Amino acid sequence: MIAPYRLKQLREEFGAAVQRADCPSDRRLFLFVDPLEVKRVCRHIFRDLDARYVISIGVDDRPFSGKFLVAHDFAFDKDHLLCSVLTYLPPDNPRIDSISDVVPAANWAEREIRDLIGVEPVGHPYPKRLVLPDGWPDGVHPLRKDFAWNEVPENFDPDGEFKFEEPPEGCTVVPFGPFHPTLDEPAHFRLYVEGEMVRGCEYRGFMVHRGIEKLAESVLSYNDIPMLAERICGICGCVHSVAYVQAVEAAAALKVPPRAEYVRTIMLEIERLHSHLLWVGLACHIVGFDTLFMQSFRIREPIMWIAEKISGNRKTYALCVVGGVRCDITYDARTELRQVLDKLEAEWTEVAAAVSKDKNIQKRTRGVGIADPTLVKNAGLVGPVARAAGVDIDCRLDHPYAAYDRVDFDVITADGCDVWSRVLVRMQEVFQSINIIRQCLEKMPDGPIDLKIEDELPAGRMGLSSVEAPRGESHHFVITGENNRPRRWRVRAPTYQNLQAVPMMIKDQQIADMTISLGSIDPCFSCTDRLETIDLRSGTVKVWSQKELLNLTRAKKAQD
Amino acid sequence: MNRSAIGMMLGGLLNVGLVLLAAPFFQGVLRKLTARIQSRQGPPLLQPYFDLLKLLGKEDIDSGEMPCMQQFAVYLSMATALAVTCLVPMGFPAPMNNAGDAILLIYLLTLSGICTLLAGLAAGSTYSLVGTSREMMSMIALEPLFVIAIISGAVHTQSFRLDTVLHGSVYATSGFPWSGLIMIVVILLSFQAFVQRAPFDISEAETELMEGPLMEYSGPKLALLKYASMVKLVIYSALFIGLFDPWGSELAFPLGWLTFWLKVVGLVVLVTVVAATHARYRIDQAIRYFASLLVMALAALSLATYGY
Repeated sequence: MIAPYRLKQLREEFGAAVQRADCPSDRRLFLFVDPLEVKRVCRHIFRDLDARYVISIGVDDRPFSGKFLVAHDFAFDKDHLLCSVLTYLPPDNPRIDSISDVVPAANWAEREIRDLIGVEPVGHPYPKRLVLPDGWPDGVHPLRKDFAWNEVPENFDPDGEFKFEEPPEGCTVVPFGPFHPTLDEPAHFRLYVEGEMVRGCEYRGFMVHRGIEKLAESVLSYNDIPMLAERICGICGCVHSVAYVQAVEAAAALKVPPRAEYVRTIMLEIERLHSHLLWVGLACHIVGFDTLFMQSFRIREPIMWIAEKISGNRKTYALCVVGGVRCDITYDARTELRQVLDKLEAEWTEVAAAVSKDKNIQKRTRGVGIADPTLVKNAGLVGPVARAAGVDIDCRLDHPYAAYDRVDFDVITADGCDVWSRVLVRMQEVFQSINIIRQCLEKMPDGPIDLKIEDELPAGRMGLSSVEAPRGESHHFVITGENNRPRRWRVRAPTYQNLQAVPMMIKDQQIADMTISLGSIDPCFSCTDRLETIDLRSGTVKVWSQKELLNLTRAKKAQD
Repeated sequence: MNRSAIGMMLGGLLNVGLVLLAAPFFQGVLRKLTARIQSRQGPPLLQPYFDLLKLLGKEDIDSGEMPCMQQFAVYLSMATALAVTCLVPMGFPAPMNNAGDAILLIYLLTLSGICTLLAGLAAGSTYSLVGTSREMMSMIALEPLFVIAIISGAVHTQSFRLDTVLHGSVYATSGFPWSGLIMIVVILLSFQAFVQRAPFDISEAETELMEGPLMEYSGPKLALLKYASMVKLVIYSALFIGLFDPWGSELAFPLGWLTFWLKVVGLVVLVTVVAATHARYRIDQAIRYFASLLVMALAALSLATYGY
């Protein structure tokens, strides 16, 4: 019984500072601590007990408890335990000790809480705006409950500009993004470059916020949200919808029928297959090896077709609802899936053999984009980036969900800490996924695929769920609520943590290695940016005709 | 004007016309073959012609720092490439044989590289400048290679005349042609870099620098730059054939001519296959590679001066 053991351990260490605790199961621990002791507790959990930092969540709980709530989530991976350290803060001028100096991985999460909820992290090493648009007025926090989802603050300045730091002496600035052929989505890296060497960089992202979390807790209902969650990401959408429904199911203590668990497992692995194949292709494209890019897309295509056969869509499967799944895997689809897997395995064996012998690709990827175990620990890196540094974390094994506790598979690791190791890890994981799907098809029991839920879900319960996305752990935090929708839903995509380490990974490397280093974390900016934003120009939307735009540019040209 | 001058000009025009006509076709072959290697259908062979026509028909937009300089760089790069075509034999003896010599050829080859620098510098955007600096670094290491090949041929034949140098002169030793054989290896190993294809498309590197020096160019200017690079593929092939593999060109008209162009197709196929099976090198890796080739080339040159 690990959760009660850890709780006892922490109670002995901190005594009355642990005000209240809740162990809904042996794999979850909710710890309510004194606001003044948060930092000490977190340091103990992160450093002494060697837990992995997951995410921090801010909640405006004033309508219910009259207070603000901040949660720091940690994972004891080897104990199969997810732990949340919660603190209630007063409604006026909420402040909390920043944990970023002892847990560097919390840097972004705390800045996000500051932006969106308005809880000040006292002593944060770099309290710069992270999420909100540049022209957003200070002191307006969109995730507070008294802020409507469609509101635009009066003094919002659409032309507001972001203030970048001064580059270090002797360096020139190379803007990388917001639009760059290697970035499929907008994000801005301001590289400080000396000759061909990158000496540092500043990141400005969160350009494509779609207000998904706000929308979920103000407009949608429990079963609408999985469909929205899927649209967080174009590649790992199924991961987000599974993670969300699992968090709700955990909060409401619902037991999903086994067949539904197997269907979820199969679809998650299909998603991992197509994502890894896509990534290997893109990585090759980034280093200028387009032949393998084309070949992996060719090999990937049948997976998209079988996904369409099963769910009706190549991507965005619309699979999950709270308590089950929406589509079954029919007998025909099962046979065809087996054939697709056989063909894929044969073709991928060839590709993997060719790539692992290719000196040319190794030349571009070995020793590039180094993330060693220390960085993995401090920045909270997850997924293939961590596994390529020899850190064997994988939520499928560490925090089993769906049917992963009933299948056998290996966690692939490598110890090069570089891009090449990430290539190797991802290529081998493809075979593991094929293996998992085969076992699921073998073991899948008959039965219903969803629960009939008749009662309203209980309000005010908390649920955590970690799902291993192709790029690492996707962590969802849900507090159930009234009106058939959650009070708070927080999504932490793997890129949210991995992206924070990119400046460290590209420092003192050549510009040419920047793109592949960034590419090696398989970045997904839409996942990271999922959060709050309000349509910048709602109310004053103007559609420019091509002619007007042309005139505008010409007028500007004439001014110059 | 005497008769030979008119003949020279007509011959030059013929070469220019032929290369202008054929260059996009070889680009088409390259693209089609690349596509087949990548399990794709690929564009029709004539697609590069349509692409050029489309670009030429677009509005000419000035988008860089120094529009006049950009315009000039673009015309100069095309003009240089075409001037070179007048100086190399293409199935016939070089038409402007008497108007220039090997030294002029070397100058023109260097000038065509300088045009890219000029284009990038005049455009002035950050990415162009990074691309330009890469181009400059690789030029310093790369340009000497062809120069050494030409010079060692000139040393063997004791002449700078184009028809002598560009006729297998690298092997024209009394004994076993050591220097010639070393040079053919060196040039084959660096050929991708001369025609700026993967793995040495470093200064343009789409996924890193977004076409580097070319990024501010569009419409007709881009068309000319692209056209010039297609022409480059042909002229470097012709130079290679002239220096290292001239046999068969002296056959009677259609035969010698056909042999020449078949060899060009062979080289294009080689370039395509290498480009499609390699990842791009980083600039420091490329420079180190060129440097080792340069050492080999210098060794060959000293052998050549001693008559080997």
